Amino acid sequence: MPLIDMPDFSADLLAEFAARRTERVNTPVIQPAEPFLDMAGEDLRRRIFLTESETGANLCLRPEFTIPVCLRHIETATGTPKRYSYLGEVFRQRREGSHEFYQAGIEDLGDKDIASSDARAIGDATGILKALLPGKKLSLTLGDQAVFEAVVKALGLPFGWQRRLIHAFGDMEHLEALLERLARPQPVTGLDPEIAELIASDNEADLVTRIDRTMQETGYSTNASRSPTEIARRLKEKLELAETRLDGTALLLLREFLTLQLPLADAPAALAGFADAADLKLGPAVSRFDARLAALANAGADLSAMTYRAAFGRPLDYYTGLVFEVTEAGSPAVLAGGGRFDRLLTLLGAKEHIPAVGFSLWLDRIETARATR
Amino acid sequence: MSTITIALPSKGRIKEDTATVFERAGLAISAVGNDRSYRGRIEGIEGVEIAYLSASEIARELASGAVDFGVTGEDLVREGMAGADGRVEFCARLGFGQADVVVAVPEIWLDVETMADLGDVAADFRARHGRRLQIATKYWRLTQQFFSSQHGIQLYRIVESLGATEGAPAAGQADIIVDITSTGSTLRANHLKILSDGVILKSEACLVRARNPGHEEDPRIARIVEAVRAAL
Repeated sequence: MPLIDMPDFSADLLAEFAARRTERVNTPVIQPAEPFLDMAGEDLRRRIFLTESETGANLCLRPEFTIPVCLRHIETATGTPKRYSYLGEVFRQRREGSHEFYQAGIEDLGDKDIASSDARAIGDATGILKALLPGKKLSLTLGDQAVFEAVVKALGLPFGWQRRLIHAFGDMEHLEALLERLARPQPVTGLDPEIAELIASDNEADLVTRIDRTMQETGYSTNASRSPTEIARRLKEKLELAETRLDGTALLLLREFLTLQLPLADAPAALAGFADAADLKLGPAVSRFDARLAALANAGADLSAMTYRAAFGRPLDYYTGLVFEVTEAGSPAVLAGGGRFDRLLTLLGAKEHIPAVGFSLWLDRIETARATR
Repeated sequence: MSTITIALPSKGRIKEDTATVFERAGLAISAVGNDRSYRGRIEGIEGVEIAYLSASEIARELASGAVDFGVTGEDLVREGMAGADGRVEFCARLGFGQADVVVAVPEIWLDVETMADLGDVAADFRARHGRRLQIATKYWRLTQQFFSSQHGIQLYRIVESLGATEGAPAAGQADIIVDITSTGSTLRANHLKILSDGVILKSEACLVRARNPGHEEDPRIARIVEAVRAAL
């Protein structure tokens, strides 16, 4: 790897990674594009550099490290727990800033102690930033999808609605549109009376047969895409969900929850107060939140610089719990971003469930912050 | 005085309809050389050249600013460049070449009538089928903007389709399509239905101006735009 254009603090960074007992890994710059598009969705296509191999395979310039590091872990099958670190160039089409820049980070794979590995990821990220930016005041924002999941579950919403809301978590606009639908349900209209009758009489077998027959007649394969059973069940579920109305009080509660933003140290009391006032049982999600906070405090983290924001999440299906971002206090530039992605490794093909948490550092922004002393 | 280039469709119905509009606008086009030439000029305005190109090339030339005006479908212009409204001006909608870019799913998907339904299906598609929902289309950009920005749907994959897109779901190449349709009859023949809120763009042939430098001071530019508008 050419060392000449690396940030001048790279050696310090690598020393930090070594001191934090991580194994440094490198991954090829040219990566198969499929895993990135599959995990992050088609939106990513506009933001990465794509090319094609001679044989027609989609390739891209490495847009980030988490997926390649996890894929490498699965391929080398070296077992868990593992603490990997990386430092290298990533390539993205950006409106502002260079298209190629350095990122570094740590991925912690397979540690089953969620609270302590969450706390360690936060501690590593803030510890490294403090070392690289001596004297600078940092501020951290933390979110937790598990708490949101507990709230929508406790509100007694049907499972299908919980899934919709959880899927939209982190995308406030989408979430608002869903809440609007919950406030003003629209009954499903225009259904073929015969189909409606089959559903009303709960006759799934006949409905499936009918869908199956139509698919055969119109030349649609019954197994290449959605199956007759899947369509029949979702139709039934859709009719049920369309009638779900969340009463005004519950909607207010949900909205109130999503506006929560307060010092992290005050969050447990606030969440307990919210649960009490709303008469909701948030159970294990809140105790895990508290356990993480205790682990942070034990590790000597500076809780006063940390904020909990209830609506903070990432609308990608492999993020499952903690997310966090670190900025210089008063600046919008994110210097480090991380979170827990317990679902990613199985999505990428790992045979067993591997809990995972990690973060990446934006070295170009850190360099800018170092320059403005 | 610099030359103004107007790119017009080189063949088909849209070529004839364009010629009619220009004639009515008093911008009679004469071919340079023989009748089958791909160059022309407008009689009575000096320094205006006509270049006959294919509809998709016109969109590309507008994007690069290589031509000053073009007549082509709005769908091709919006698909061909990011931030189209900042780079070109849609001066006039010409009233022909109407077609909608739509999201269509198999008719038998009885449970899917809206984009919200499709969002539900896309969200757990991978868990059920081991792959993401696949959309056959040639409209990458329009699809992405519509699905992610307007409907918060991220998890799907685009399968590029350069022709006979409406056959892709039955052939098992994709689950649904985003395609252009004028009467909907091809969709119906392939047992596809348009989602109730699935119209991405109502397109038609437009007179489009590249926002090139020097246009503001050039009276010929305003004259051409006004003549075409007056002819509609």
